[in-house]
Amino acid sequence: MIYLEMWFTFMKIGLFSFGGGYAILAMIRQEVVVKHPWLSASQFVDIVAISQMTPGPIAINAATFIGYQKAGILGAVLCTLGVITPSLLIMLIVTITYLKLKNQAWFKNVFSKLRLLSLGLIAAALIMLFGSVIADLFSIIVFTLSLSVTWKYKLNPFYLLLVAAGVGMLLG
Amino acid sequence: MIPLIKQEVCKKRSWISEDEFLDGLAAAQSCPGPIAVNLSIYIGYHIRKGKGMAVAVLGTVLPSFISIILIAMLFTRFAEASLVRKAFHALRPAVVALIAVPLYQMSRTAGLKPGNFWFPLGIAVLVGFLNVSPVYLIVITIVYAIWQGLRMARK
Repeated sequence: MIYLEMWFTFMKIGLFSFGGGYAILAMIRQEVVVKHPWLSASQFVDIVAISQMTPGPIAINAATFIGYQKAGILGAVLCTLGVITPSLLIMLIVTITYLKLKNQAWFKNVFSKLRLLSLGLIAAALIMLFGSVIADLFSIIVFTLSLSVTWKYKLNPFYLLLVAAGVGMLLG
Repeated sequence: MIPLIKQEVCKKRSWISEDEFLDGLAAAQSCPGPIAVNLSIYIGYHIRKGKGMAVAVLGTVLPSFISIILIAMLFTRFAEASLVRKAFHALRPAVVALIAVPLYQMSRTAGLKPGNFWFPLGIAVLVGFLNVSPVYLIVITIVYAIWQGLRMARK
């Protein structure tokens, strides 16, 4: 049952994605590239690129995209629902109890440790992507240029990717 | 996305106060799942309990959902076109660069010090090179942090 498996997998991704954004990438990749043969390493990067160019949370975008590619509209709905199911349950409980929890030492400690952990997870995503992407001279040049431009001018990611797409069409 | 949400719910519509918003943001960042979705659950529930929550979540998810479906439809049809392939040849390294940049900035807000540097580094090596699932590492970290936090509280 691919539908059930996809829903369950994305629920797991939702449950174990802390820190938002890029920290989730390592978890998504682990599930849809390493554990399930749903995407190739370069397809995964394509989806990350598409997610960065469209509005909204990366986890939702990735869930919708992968769900659609593997099992059509129904797949997209299930994966998207799957990724937000844990949020719905946990966030609801926390919303109701947050004012009591927020001053507890253990609660604070969990989240300061998880913040450090997500730092490691983003670095891990970077390591994984680096291996499958930076393969030829053209990629190295684009990577270095993008890095320096974003670093120095704090360029909006959308515009950077737009320019990169244009450069790729002309020279890639 | 977060400043945008704040602008709408605190300033424009005054649905919740700024303090409530900041509490919600802290909770949303702490819980698993997309931060924007978590925040919409918090805000929706505050305004109109269960129904408010459902509507807020739908509102957050639908624009992404629809735009991604449209793109996926086009992408599956045109992925093999040479122009698209060429564009992605340059997009991929640019994406990697985009992930690299905030890492430095995040290392400050996460409280990275010489004393705890080994921890994220170890996570990066285990997950990035050895393909260890983040699940185990997250569970171990949470259990350890609760234990340590309770012990600190008792002292």
